[in-house]
Amino acid sequence: MRRREAEAVCPTVATIEHDPGAEMARFERVAVAVETLIPRIEVVIPGLILAPVTGAVRYFGGEEPLIDRVAKEIDAVAGQGFRLGVAAGPFAARRAAEIATEADPLYVVSDDDAFRAMLDVEALGSDDMAAVFRWLGISTLGELAALPREAVVSRFGPDGLRAHRLATGEDRATQDRVIAADLSIEEKFDPPLENLEQAAFIARSLAHQLLEAPVMQGATPHRIEVEAEAADGAVRRRTWRSADPFNEPMLAERVRWQLQAWLDTAQLRSGPGIRGGLVRLRIAPADLSDDGRQLALDEDALSAAEAQRAFAQTQAIVGNDEVLQAIPQGGRDPGERALWYRWGENPPAPERDPQAPWPGQIPAPLPALVPPDPYPLEVEWDAGIPTRVRLGTRWVEVISWAGPWRKVGRWWDGEYPADRYQLVTSAGAFLCAVVQGKTYMAGVYD
Amino acid sequence: MAGAVQLEQLRSASDLGAPDVLSLQPGRVTGLIGHPGFGLTRLGLVMLASREQLGPVAYLDVRGWLSPPAAWESGLSPERLVVVRCSDPVRWARVASHLLEGVGAVYAEVPARAKPAQLHKLVALARNRKTPLVLRPVQGDLPSGLAHLRLEARQVLWEGTDRGHGRLTNRKLVFEASGKAMRGMTRLIEVEDDGTNALRLVSGLAAAPAGRATG
Repeated sequence: MRRREAEAVCPTVATIEHDPGAEMARFERVAVAVETLIPRIEVVIPGLILAPVTGAVRYFGGEEPLIDRVAKEIDAVAGQGFRLGVAAGPFAARRAAEIATEADPLYVVSDDDAFRAMLDVEALGSDDMAAVFRWLGISTLGELAALPREAVVSRFGPDGLRAHRLATGEDRATQDRVIAADLSIEEKFDPPLENLEQAAFIARSLAHQLLEAPVMQGATPHRIEVEAEAADGAVRRRTWRSADPFNEPMLAERVRWQLQAWLDTAQLRSGPGIRGGLVRLRIAPADLSDDGRQLALDEDALSAAEAQRAFAQTQAIVGNDEVLQAIPQGGRDPGERALWYRWGENPPAPERDPQAPWPGQIPAPLPALVPPDPYPLEVEWDAGIPTRVRLGTRWVEVISWAGPWRKVGRWWDGEYPADRYQLVTSAGAFLCAVVQGKTYMAGVYD
Repeated sequence: MAGAVQLEQLRSASDLGAPDVLSLQPGRVTGLIGHPGFGLTRLGLVMLASREQLGPVAYLDVRGWLSPPAAWESGLSPERLVVVRCSDPVRWARVASHLLEGVGAVYAEVPARAKPAQLHKLVALARNRKTPLVLRPVQGDLPSGLAHLRLEARQVLWEGTDRGHGRLTNRKLVFEASGKAMRGMTRLIEVEDDGTNALRLVSGLAAAPAGRATG
């Protein structure tokens, strides 16, 4: 519901602006409490933590003692209202936590495959995609996982691939991965930074430096570690995680939220934040996207993921056959000189060699508009010379003309020879083809 | 790289006194008004090419007539141009809004039955997302005040052809530029197109006296 609609229904309603920074400041106590028990937690959004528990389970002697300790710690700092989900993978664990209730805040998944299979397609987090799946008769992730991946990708593009991966349990694990080189970016501050706005500006600058760094080679991270050193020497670290690769605004936003959380908790003395100001900030990328790409020199780093999403959504609306790209190929007519293929698929090999000589080829510049099927055009001829063209309801005089460029048809395929003319009128220039005495519109020089 | 060359030429032309009308600005909506045959598609493609360095660009094709070789001649690279075909006016608006949220620039042919409210929403979205948008009505005109820059074709002159001789080579397009981007003034601007990707503003005409004030 929009704000205006809500106020119309209830004029006394109070509107509270969504402030992830403030949310993170309040959530920081929970993150610190969990981190005292389980190292290397990852924050997805303020309010949601993923924690790899394998080592902690061994340390505390089992899942139950660990969960008891975690629940007590959270209860002590934030009170009731939390929910815990335990599963082998992050996706299932998150859904398990969503299923848990306030009365029964723990949901343990014993069999990830069976649990995922019974989840509704809404669990994928896309209402549009869930609606289409239901329309296709697919209501659970188990039914989705049973479909061939190629078919899902062909229909839904990158979003479909991600959905199928989630449905089949190929989620990104929370374990650390080996990073080949130190890709971190660091900035030191003297005097220490205590102003959040300054810190936010620095966060933006560091995010830009990190993603544009040559050593990144165009790759984008799915996880980042934010490390801050306080003036008293204390070092704080927090890992943030995202299903989509981090782009510059997303990265800067996470760093700002985290800094706000640390600075606020220190000011309010509600947790071990950054006391005395920030003297060093370091951002380290991890879990680099497998499909990292080489950016052009002046290319915007956030464009790829957004563009992919936009085209995939467009494909969902108009169909795969209507979102197209083309590559050059040989041919005599303008329409023959492009080979179309669906966006998201690999370009096919040209059917005709674009470098080969094509006698009778229409010279450049080529018409910008070419009808898919040439349609009849009324042209008045006087002794083989075009004099007038009918455009809509009016006749327009031909000012000048060039041609013909003769195209000899493949007579064995039933094609007839065609003479192509460029006609120039006061309303523009057109390409027309004369086949068996009839004139057709073959292109508009628009 | 071809796009950079043409942009440089346009900039040098604008230094002569002509406004920088042919380069797309973030969030600016350009309306191209005129019948097919005046060369506005090619003009729009050149504009798109100036933005392809920032990401893929989209051509929303209502009629299904766009010929990619002309786009490549205009400086667009095949891997950066995505053509979306959609003739239904209802789905057209949804498609256009999705494209505006993700791509570097959008050239959208406007179907005849598109509603003004849809167009206003798209303009607001383009401004919000800072995505350049070129609108080309298939029939008629755009609602008044919609486009920041309105380019209406007035005349096209082709050179190179005679009575059966030669071939089309050069084109001179005269159009009337108006709208907020022209600071409320109306100017006649001439563009020369030699068939490659290098459109050139002719400064003399661009500096012609302003017409009636608009807006």
